[in-house]
Amino acid sequence: MLCQRKTKNNVQRYFGTNNTICSKKDEQPASMHEISKETESQESVKENTKKDLLGIIKGMKIELSTVNVQTTKPSSTRQLKSVEATINKLQKAPGDAPKKRTKSLSPELVAAASAIADFLPFDKQTTKSELLRQLQQHEEVSKAQKNGGRAKISVSNIISDMKVAKSATIRVSTRPVHQIQFDEGSDDYMSQKTSDVKKSLRKNMLKGKRLNIFDLKAVTEETSETETTPSLWDIEFAKQLAAVNEQPLQNGFAEMIQWTKDGKLWEFPINNEAGFDDEGSEFHEHIFLDIHLKDFPKQGPIRHFMELVTCGLSKNPYLSVKQKIEHIEWFRNYFNEKQDILKENGIEFN
Amino acid sequence: MAAAATSRWLGFRCRLCLKLRGQRYYFRTFIFCRFYSGSATLPKVEGTNITGIEEVVIPRKKTWDKVAVLQALASTVSRDPTAAPYAFQDDPYLIPASSMESRLFLLAKKSGENAAKFIINLHPKYFQKDIAEPHIPCLMPEYFEPQIEDISEAALKERIKLKKVKASVDMFDQLLQAGTTVSLETSNSLLDLLCYYGDREPSTDNHFQQSGKSEELFTSNQQAKNNAERIFALIPEKNSYSYCTMIRGMVKHRALVQALNLYAELLNNRLKADVYTFNALIEATALNMNEKSEDKWNNILELLKQMAAQKVKPNLQTFNTILKCLRRFQAFGRLPALQTFREMKAIGIGEYGTTDKTSLLSHSAENPSKGSSRIIYDIMNEITGQKFTPKDPDDGMHRNCLDLELAYQVHGLLNTGDNWKFIGPDHRRNFYYSKFFSLLCLMEQIDVTLKWYKDLVPSVFFPRSQTLIDLLQALDVANRLEVIPQIWKDSKEYGHTFRSDLKEEILMLMARDQHPPELQVAFADCAADIKSTYESQDARQTAPDWPANSLNCIAVLFLRAGRTQEAWKMLGLFRKHNKIPGNKLLNEFMDSAKASNSPAQAIEVVKLAGAFSLPICEGLTQRVMADFAISQEQKEALGNLTSLTSDSDSDSDSDISEGI
Repeated sequence: MLCQRKTKNNVQRYFGTNNTICSKKDEQPASMHEISKETESQESVKENTKKDLLGIIKGMKIELSTVNVQTTKPSSTRQLKSVEATINKLQKAPGDAPKKRTKSLSPELVAAASAIADFLPFDKQTTKSELLRQLQQHEEVSKAQKNGGRAKISVSNIISDMKVAKSATIRVSTRPVHQIQFDEGSDDYMSQKTSDVKKSLRKNMLKGKRLNIFDLKAVTEETSETETTPSLWDIEFAKQLAAVNEQPLQNGFAEMIQWTKDGKLWEFPINNEAGFDDEGSEFHEHIFLDIHLKDFPKQGPIRHFMELVTCGLSKNPYLSVKQKIEHIEWFRNYFNEKQDILKENGIEFN
Repeated sequence: MAAAATSRWLGFRCRLCLKLRGQRYYFRTFIFCRFYSGSATLPKVEGTNITGIEEVVIPRKKTWDKVAVLQALASTVSRDPTAAPYAFQDDPYLIPASSMESRLFLLAKKSGENAAKFIINLHPKYFQKDIAEPHIPCLMPEYFEPQIEDISEAALKERIKLKKVKASVDMFDQLLQAGTTVSLETSNSLLDLLCYYGDREPSTDNHFQQSGKSEELFTSNQQAKNNAERIFALIPEKNSYSYCTMIRGMVKHRALVQALNLYAELLNNRLKADVYTFNALIEATALNMNEKSEDKWNNILELLKQMAAQKVKPNLQTFNTILKCLRRFQAFGRLPALQTFREMKAIGIGEYGTTDKTSLLSHSAENPSKGSSRIIYDIMNEITGQKFTPKDPDDGMHRNCLDLELAYQVHGLLNTGDNWKFIGPDHRRNFYYSKFFSLLCLMEQIDVTLKWYKDLVPSVFFPRSQTLIDLLQALDVANRLEVIPQIWKDSKEYGHTFRSDLKEEILMLMARDQHPPELQVAFADCAADIKSTYESQDARQTAPDWPANSLNCIAVLFLRAGRTQEAWKMLGLFRKHNKIPGNKLLNEFMDSAKASNSPAQAIEVVKLAGAFSLPICEGLTQRVMADFAISQEQKEALGNLTSLTSDSDSDSDSDISEGI
């Protein structure tokens, strides 16, 4: 993330908190490279020796830039471009300060500062003293913040292993140097930083090498699934799966749900005819039984009688349609058998 | 006029009906009010569908799940932290007050149900009456005896269905002896049965074998596998299913080498294995004891490549198995686990069961090296807010949290949707909550901790004594010692009345510093209560055992609250239990003697010190001499006392060792 700020000299200065800083002017790229490499090596040495938090953080080149960095003008004539790189790296330590800082400035830092000072065409002595003063200031700042805020231990674990997101080419910057101070709002920085860290780490978790054994296309093509009855293995597996979720019931409704699933309880909303199918017959088959009377004579006492029978049957809720038809059948057989009596009395049947 | 208006209104209504329902019957009504129609938009149609006006879209009928109403009602109810859990609400006398009691309760309930079921199935003829309308099948007796008696394949199938292992094997043998061939399908299902249950009858009631391990140890099942192998050999033409089921059975019963050999045979016969077989084989290679992790991992990769070559689609179980096996590989498995995870995501295997994540998580938890903690945060961010469906039997939550934020995230995750069901059986739930609460005690502010305490205890879990000690220490740190008597009362309820470490901790915290008077009184009451528990404990045990610390603390608390009588009685108890009073205690007694201005008491104290041959006796004597007005003979007595103590040093050593 890059910020820009107009300075007194009306030069647009770019600075950022990552290593890959591009700028307009490309001065002394090689030397910059060397210097940054040198400081890197210095820092790695320091990391090995000291192994404190600051050292580890310095070894990282984070791509985060939620540091609310203010710049103040340096003493006017200084154009200590290269120092910026060093300071940037050193500044990566957020408010979470190093744990052990026994000496005020380590000799390696001093050596680095003097090396840089040697490199630059400016006044060596003043450069060096400037650099060292800077470093000292940062020491104090970090110490103060260390005593002030307490970072979580776990976050330090994260930071200690943050992936180095180095870009391939270190583009050189010829940024002018400013005195960089941290904002006192170190807490916000920390939480923001952790969320950013998490985001970047999540990407890292998902990116990266996979086994490359299975091919996406081959896996997703739909093979024809033959319908087989679930084997014993499948059934038992399903049972195990259901058992994972078993917990004692939390309230009466859960109990009722369980009973409904078992089949012990009526299903809501209550359906009067739940579980009763009536063999698929409709209400009109129960009521309009005239159809079954077509074999009977159309007039006469028999007809009267059968109409009464059908009237009674239509009001009967307990018999199925089949049973009602059987009733009528029975009467037909009966009357067929008793033909001679009917003939005697002059009643027509057939 | 009115009639016309009403009929016009009627006509309008009919048209409205038409518009709304759009069915055919109502056209008849429309016809007779047709001549009232004033709207030009309505066409005059007879007996055909309405066309020309807007399409009536009949909404699709919603079908609701049969438990939808109840689920909606259940969603309105949440946990009541002041009540016992619903499962325990029966007779109030029986409501459990500790975790052991709750386990007993649930066991008793379940075993009652099982006993009833057993009786019903044992005598089915007495339980035939069925008055339920509609019929409830699960309340009717079940028939476990095979009905078909003759030797036929149908009989074999029936026995397989009833899961009678021995009977089916016998039937199979009889069929072969009789010369009838058994169809491949039946043989395969018989193999299924044998391989799954490993030649033993399926246990009817393994509800309470919480370990849930039906897998045998490697050694014990060698001969038991013979039946399955024998029948396998007897099947004339085996298809791939037979091989697969045999391999799965072997892996289940830990005959790993044979499983791998059988797989080789399968390949030799040019048959294909299915995905489940591959899962079993992966597990087999991982469990192989003789190889190193790298070799095992390479073998697994080999298997996966063969799987891809045979065009077998891996499923979620495959990856879960791999991750589980990798978890056993400890540090080595971390990178492969990540690779596997990425592979899984890349080929898009469904929604994630939690096993994959929890495997990675436990990886990280077990290898607390630098890289792993970040994985935890990643995964937590991924799965926050997701609801899981169980995809694998091992999906239970097993957590140990590393820090507070993570703990809250996990807890939030637990409470979203139905995820709380994943917390697993009782002991795991208790473990999780104990850990969670201990973490809260350590790292959270005391008010929040107390709020959680009220919320969780006892409606969710019963705290162990260690948890309570953690809570006490948190109170100590936060300087809220006035809550201690309440905690003691709670501990008594949760069955920790006789836990000496808890009682000592409580007493020690109370007795350590001086406190304002009302608090002191409360503390003294609490101490008296604890004392009575010690006494009742004594009554039950033959060898009474009061820790010296407790005696000291109780006495101090009594003194400070002004209950001097009881305090003096405590001194007597010291003697009785052969415990040595502390120096501070004796000084306090001396102070109180001074306050009450009784030299007799002071001399008591000195005598006691002398009896125990304590070095402080000298100091006390001098103090008595200085502060109190004592008579001459008392002075002499004191003098004798001091000389005695200085003489008998060797004796005193043995005395002291006895007391301790």
